[in-house]
Amino acid sequence: MTPADAPPPPLRTAVTGPPAALVVRGLTKSFDGRTVLDDLDLRVESGQFLALLGANGCGKSTALRCLVGLETPDAGAIAVHGRTLGSGHDAESNRLRQQTAMVFQQIHLVRRRSALDNVCAGALGRLPLRRSLAPILFPRELREEAMACLDRVGMADRAAEPAGRLSGGQQQRVAIARALCQRARIILADEPVSALDPAAAEQVVSLLADLAHEEGLAVAAVLHQPALARRHADRVVGLLHGRAVIDAPASEITEADLDTLYAGRPASPAPASHVVHQEHR
Amino acid sequence: MKSPATPLAPPRRRPITTATAAVTVVVVAAHVLAWHGTEFSPAALVQGWRGMADFLGQALPPDLSWTEVLLPSFQGALVTLAIGLLGTTLSVPAALVLALLAARTTTRNRWVYQAARSILSFLRAVPDVVFALIFVTAVGLGPFAGVLALIFHNTGVMGKLWAEAMEEIDLGPRDALRVGGASGVQVAAHAVLPAVIPQFVGLLLYRFDVNVRSSLVLGLVGAGGIGFLVNQSIKLFRFDEMVTHLLVVMVLVVAVDQLSAQIRRRLGV
Repeated sequence: MTPADAPPPPLRTAVTGPPAALVVRGLTKSFDGRTVLDDLDLRVESGQFLALLGANGCGKSTALRCLVGLETPDAGAIAVHGRTLGSGHDAESNRLRQQTAMVFQQIHLVRRRSALDNVCAGALGRLPLRRSLAPILFPRELREEAMACLDRVGMADRAAEPAGRLSGGQQQRVAIARALCQRARIILADEPVSALDPAAAEQVVSLLADLAHEEGLAVAAVLHQPALARRHADRVVGLLHGRAVIDAPASEITEADLDTLYAGRPASPAPASHVVHQEHR
Repeated sequence: MKSPATPLAPPRRRPITTATAAVTVVVVAAHVLAWHGTEFSPAALVQGWRGMADFLGQALPPDLSWTEVLLPSFQGALVTLAIGLLGTTLSVPAALVLALLAARTTTRNRWVYQAARSILSFLRAVPDVVFALIFVTAVGLGPFAGVLALIFHNTGVMGKLWAEAMEEIDLGPRDALRVGGASGVQVAAHAVLPAVIPQFVGLLLYRFDVNVRSSLVLGLVGAGGIGFLVNQSIKLFRFDEMVTHLLVVMVLVVAVDQLSAQIRRRLGV
């Protein structure tokens, strides 16, 4: 685990080489005439842990839900590893979406099933129906892979326990293992630690950072604790009124930037240098 | 707390609105019409006390002779229990498929959803007694017609109850698996059904309880079991036999009810 006072890991930028894991251009979404996402641009690189900050209702969760297909955006383009995602649920788009896994604030494990069965369920997308109609039909290789995923998040010793009996932090780590078992290269986490106590939150966020830095995954997490973001994230994107108004290395985020996000206006007359779009009410 | 100098005036009662008055008039009128429509007459009941007394005189004491009455009664009760059991169990596959198609949680296609709902509504709307009369003409008098009738009617009722149970679950796990690329059937098998298993078992036991009682009535229209014996006793004016059958029925119904309640309590549903 990263000590609290350690400097954040160095920012990795892919100037050349393969395309970014996830590129979002001009994402727009409104509900009943209320604009939630307003021309949002976002870029997540492989091996990078990106924190999304912003006040409640700024569109962070909606953005992630659009990226995984739980909401349909009104406009905008999404590219996964350089390949553009269609708007529908055609086979190619579904295959691209499977490279993206989502981790939720409410965790969303099946409480009555064991941790291992929950992790195996991450692989359903690549299993034929006859091997996946019930947990007993899961292939042996899948169970072994799922155990490795549980081991990666430090939960191998609780594999047989029903998910509902684990603590919140443990459940969230099992949910992350499920994302790994999906073989996702991109993990989107929607307030993964908002329901957890500080120690569990620290553990889960540092796990997400490790997965980015050690396994080369692209990780984007909506966080409500700027301190956690500064400690663990490589980059911070700040959302205000459905737009990215801050995009900077985590080490360069200032109090003034945070005031911009949470109060909806710059704290100082001269806005911070890396505020990319200026937004005033 | 200091009391205020002048007592606070309580808020005024809401005056009776014309809507309330109109509803009252309609409800009272409906009851008056129903009273006339059913020829409801306490006087007729009082005048007919002699008939009731004759009936009770013939019915009591119940005829408890073993070979002629009690043994056939127990055998009939077992057949009734068997009709209820098979009628409930054999309706499970069709009820499950229709429930999955008739729940918004598992079915995204609006037409499939509406079609499944319509089939369930039809099966529910036709009473099991009517199904029994239809099947008696097809397979003849006897318990088989009763089982068929219960399968059809119970599919409609249980499918509806199960579909509603599925629509009430937390949709999070379903969405989590959909994001991972799971198909509709996989999502149903791994997120929806595991969440509703206790409710499903509870509703199944409740329906078993109801179906055992229904199969008594089915016996009255010729679909076998102890209901058939009750009907025969009435036709032969052997009311003492009839009371014995009814006592056995009471024991059966209470036993099934207790069993189902006990299991449901264990399940916590």
